[in-house]
Amino acid sequence: MTIDLEPSTARPERTVPAPLVITRDYSTPDRIYRAGVRISGAGVFLLLVVIGFFLAWSGYPAFQQAGWKFFTRSGFQTLGAHPTFGVLASIVGTVEVAVVAMLVGAPIAIATALFLSEYAPLKTRRTLIAMIDLAAAIPSIIFGLWAVFELQPNVVGFSTWLSRHLDFIPFFKVVSPPLNASIFIAGLVVGIMIVPIVASICREVFSLAPAGEREAALALGASRWQMIRTVVLPFGRGGMVGAVMLGLGRALEETIAVSIILGGSFTVTAHILQHGGSTISQLIAINFGSGGKLGLQDLLLCGFVLFILTLVINLAASAIVNNSRSGAGVDL
Amino acid sequence: MTATLPSTSLDDAEHPQVFTGTPSAGEPGQVDAHDVCAWFGDRLVLETVDLVMEKSKVTALIGPSGCGKSTFLRIINRMHEVVPGAQLAGSVKLDGVDIYGPGQRAMETRRHIGMVFQKPNPFPAMTIAENVLAGLKFSRTSPANKDDLIEESLTKGGLWNEVKDRLGELGGALSGGQQQRLCIARSLAVKPRVLLMDEPCSALDPTSTLRIEQTIKEIASEVTVVIVTHNMQQAQRVSDYCAFFLAEENQPGRVIEAGRTTTIFGSPTDQRTFDYVNGQFG
Repeated sequence: MTIDLEPSTARPERTVPAPLVITRDYSTPDRIYRAGVRISGAGVFLLLVVIGFFLAWSGYPAFQQAGWKFFTRSGFQTLGAHPTFGVLASIVGTVEVAVVAMLVGAPIAIATALFLSEYAPLKTRRTLIAMIDLAAAIPSIIFGLWAVFELQPNVVGFSTWLSRHLDFIPFFKVVSPPLNASIFIAGLVVGIMIVPIVASICREVFSLAPAGEREAALALGASRWQMIRTVVLPFGRGGMVGAVMLGLGRALEETIAVSIILGGSFTVTAHILQHGGSTISQLIAINFGSGGKLGLQDLLLCGFVLFILTLVINLAASAIVNNSRSGAGVDL
Repeated sequence: MTATLPSTSLDDAEHPQVFTGTPSAGEPGQVDAHDVCAWFGDRLVLETVDLVMEKSKVTALIGPSGCGKSTFLRIINRMHEVVPGAQLAGSVKLDGVDIYGPGQRAMETRRHIGMVFQKPNPFPAMTIAENVLAGLKFSRTSPANKDDLIEESLTKGGLWNEVKDRLGELGGALSGGQQQRLCIARSLAVKPRVLLMDEPCSALDPTSTLRIEQTIKEIASEVTVVIVTHNMQQAQRVSDYCAFFLAEENQPGRVIEAGRTTTIFGSPTDQRTFDYVNGQFG
């Protein structure tokens, strides 16, 4: 008896079937659920569009009045026959406050987060974490008041020192004193204000760094700092950027604390240590209700500018690729 | 604490019980553990373990889960203290030098006593070459010839032929078995005197396991190996000496019996050892 071991000759030529078309048949609860989440998702997006459109639409008359000079002039004089107003000083001030806030706040926040996740003794760690989270909930008006009465008097001396010894840096040069109510102090308070939230998020991210990789570094003879640089920081990079961007968002929009620090002057200045300066949200807050109909339109247009500014920054943040993994880009 | 156990030091006339040579890097070292106890929080998990891990030999730590083998292993290179709430007692000597002695730095000890973990843990975003050199960067030493060291280490780890043309690829892109061999190569690159392996093959396929066992046999002349394993056949295949750990109900882990692997598997003196190595429990 012979067995044919050549299947290829025995099998007929086969045709490859067409790919299946899988149809989904949703049940009624499924359909309701899907509709629900779709509406919520679309709702958020719609809200964004509606707000932007509303601001642009209602502010447009002010733009018609001022033209492109709206972006090159500063001030809020909307009454009378020859109104002059513009947003330049406020844009510059907003960016300056945000930069100072980030330079002060981000390093402190990241250092705090590292301390909490890596160095703090276990027993005190939980208490400290709770305190940081609590600090994130302090209303900004409280920070503002504290800054005016406590921080500012103590910082003016430091501002003076900076202006005397580092005045070769244009930002630290002082042309016209006094040194209170400055962009620098406003940025400082906003920087302090964002520390808790940024630190809290960063700590969360750092604590998620894989234990196996931490142990790998330690077992190879890494010091704690080397382990942090090799494993924790590269792993947490994406989260850190996110947290700092969230802080930046707060720094850009912070209104109340900045309003009670800064006066109402609309000078465009790079000299952040000296009196004066304005931010967009402060401009809106302190001038709301004054300036008549044109004034209101001007403020709505300013709001639109701030809206676009924050939108652009947030988009830029989310565009930063989250390629953070242990060891990425480490140069020990 | 009661030290009621007889000494479980390995008895071998060729090797002295106490080695008091000058520690020298790159030479295989002998590890003497004496009276080692370990706690997690208030719970005593390991009681008065005495064990000598002979120079240039492979010592296997065997026993059922939860008997303190891994804890003991981690005590040998000061990784136990990394765990929050962990405590220990006793002494561990590397060539006569107490690694827990005053002034001894944990990171220094770990450079002499390397460790390979149960789960492969290369640095995923470092390249294969960078992974191998990571330990040297930590100690801020640069080898005479990096390429030679990378080749040498990966060859010892049994990975060279598979990765020689793609050293620039990321460590995280390798398969599990390759990752584990990369971890072994990474540990060997710093020329440790002792290499600890905590169930290095338990997450791997049979082929990778075989490769790693080969590696262990090949490196034993240059580095003392201590391996924790749940696999009896593996212990028999790779080890010269064996220590049987056991934690009886509500008791901390202890060493029940230790000695030459052939003795432990062939003619153990303790009934519990006999039962365990013959698959009666665990």
